[in-house]
Amino acid sequence: MSEVVSRDTPLAGQPPAEIFRPRPPRAAPASTLGVQGWVRQNMFSSIPNALVTVLGIWIVYAFFDTILTWAVGNAVWEAANRRECLDKVGRSGACWPGVIAWIPNLIYGLYPKDQVWRINLAGLVLVLWALPLWLPRVQSKALIGLSLVLLFPLLVSYFFLGGEKGVIWSALIALGLAGFLWALLTAATETVSGLSFSRFAVAALGAGGGSDAARRNGQLAALLALYVVAFIAVQALSLSFVPTRVWGGLFLTLVISGIGIAFSLPAGIVLALGRRSRMPLISLLCTVFIELFRSVPLITILFMFNTMLPLFLPVGVEVNQLLRAIVAVCLFASAYMAEVIRGGLQAIPRGQYEAASAMGLGFWQATGLVIMPQALKIMIPTIVGNFIGLFKDTTLVSIIGLFDLLSMSRAVAEDTRWLGLFLEPFFFITMIYFVVCFTMSQYSLNLEQRLSAGERR
Amino acid sequence: MTDAVSGELPVELVGVNKWFGAFHALKDIDLRVREGERIVVCGPSGSGKSTMIRCINQLERHQEGTIRIHGRAYGRDLRENDAIRREIGMVFQSVNLFPHLTVLENCTFALTWVRQMPKQEAEDLAMEFLARVRIPEQARKYPLQLSGGQQQRVAIARALCVRPKIMLFDEPTSSLDPEMINEVLDTMVELAESGITMLVVTHEMGFARKVADRVIFMDQGEIVEEAPPEIFFASPRFDRTRLFLSQVL
Repeated sequence: MSEVVSRDTPLAGQPPAEIFRPRPPRAAPASTLGVQGWVRQNMFSSIPNALVTVLGIWIVYAFFDTILTWAVGNAVWEAANRRECLDKVGRSGACWPGVIAWIPNLIYGLYPKDQVWRINLAGLVLVLWALPLWLPRVQSKALIGLSLVLLFPLLVSYFFLGGEKGVIWSALIALGLAGFLWALLTAATETVSGLSFSRFAVAALGAGGGSDAARRNGQLAALLALYVVAFIAVQALSLSFVPTRVWGGLFLTLVISGIGIAFSLPAGIVLALGRRSRMPLISLLCTVFIELFRSVPLITILFMFNTMLPLFLPVGVEVNQLLRAIVAVCLFASAYMAEVIRGGLQAIPRGQYEAASAMGLGFWQATGLVIMPQALKIMIPTIVGNFIGLFKDTTLVSIIGLFDLLSMSRAVAEDTRWLGLFLEPFFFITMIYFVVCFTMSQYSLNLEQRLSAGERR
Repeated sequence: MTDAVSGELPVELVGVNKWFGAFHALKDIDLRVREGERIVVCGPSGSGKSTMIRCINQLERHQEGTIRIHGRAYGRDLRENDAIRREIGMVFQSVNLFPHLTVLENCTFALTWVRQMPKQEAEDLAMEFLARVRIPEQARKYPLQLSGGQQQRVAIARALCVRPKIMLFDEPTSSLDPEMINEVLDTMVELAESGITMLVVTHEMGFARKVADRVIFMDQGEIVEEAPPEIFFASPRFDRTRLFLSQVL
């Protein structure tokens, strides 16, 4: 076949061709290999480089030596108040008892001590709900992830807030609980049998032999039964009311940033698509929203929502202060996220959309199945960077009187027993922020590596 | 227009005009393609050959004239347009495989999402076409792990999976390394022998000689000349065609 279309036919009458034999590859010079080679090449390749290396090592050593001497070496671990600490070591060592005494408040704010289990339980639910996402044999990962994002807030809103629940709220809480139970059961049945919960239930009850319609009805019945169980359980559950005013510490920080993160990604996607839309009105509205919120500092937006929003609302209608802060953070974060996503969309060649379109896919299918997965993938570092920024930006809510992690740490210094203890609580929450943010960034790296399988040769 | 089967022609362009802004890209294009006909479109860059091909599956919308595919004309109804273009497969110069999906997933993509075919059936069909372009062993790899020529063959298999009645090729070998052009051309020759209707924009005159039923030469948005290859290459009518041929041959 190939000689028919071959474009270059060798000329006749040439002398017989010599045979080309490629040379075998040789090993790289030994001085460039191994740890020794690496150190020599990267740290001591010239006299100035060697000096910089030595200086750098000395700076790192001096820094950590000072910090560790203060935080560990000279630190006081047991004392009744700050006076005792100062009498023992003066200012040369950290006074940890103050921080230790305040740890419950740093984590839970002023949440009633006997109710703190509700927050812990919510944390446990979160872990259990997310766990199937990492189990290899679970197939419905997308559905479980979606149920987590959409239904988890419904369930834990009651855990956190408690109090009177009307019929509608009860129904929503039950939906959350049913979602949780469904995720656990599906993870279990898929690990055991490869069938999702509803299919498994139908098969186990022997209804699997019927028609497709009968099977579908059976699956619906199984899900409905689950919901009824959840509803009854919710009715039986009664938790005391905890006003948001006493929420605080790491708990509050996680609530605000968690909602902000979960909201900003989908909202950012919608805004980015809107801004690129060919419909002028939609594009204009999205652009105005994005540019408006991006051009104003978060702190200004928080103030606006906190002090000016009530002026626009009818007399008597009061929006919870925490809710106002959360809405402000969500809108701000969405505007930023929209521009990140738009950057990702911009990077996808037009040909990708054309190829999808030539196959007969409509706009939404092409966007959802071809363009968006690629755009989100290349923007993972920036998206997670935004999440990390958002998590840290929540410290600004302390300005409008919410007791997040940062404000709680400052409260320690106002405790009469630990008067003036600023540095140690700051050091402690710095560690918390570092651990959370570093975990996020490492996870993003890990995600990037797993998803870039297609680019590795 | 007196042709009795005119309504059933696979591709028919009547008085098609297309502007990009003020630029007149296609001028009164008339083209009638018969069932199973293989047409090669050539011409200098900017002559409108790609635009014409892209109008045939409405990647570009024309402003005047009528384009009919098997008697159905493109119009304002986007769903109808999508339904019409499903009969047409397209292979691009820039390949445009989906890099986040494996080769096999690329091929089953349209079957799954447009035709709602069950997964196993779609995969079997896709493997059949991958075997036809001689790369079934690469099915689980990602497109960027393949060479340029292999990628373009996958793109051909992907377009064939939905069993189109018409195949469009928009300079399928122009972005490839010279050593990979022939493997793609060979695949296209085999495809041509299967009797599918093909419109190919290319500068590969060897391919045109070998498989084309008709060669079309375009310049400045017009069809200058159309003729069977033996006449086209031996005795072109216009000086413009002669100048072009003297440069590419």
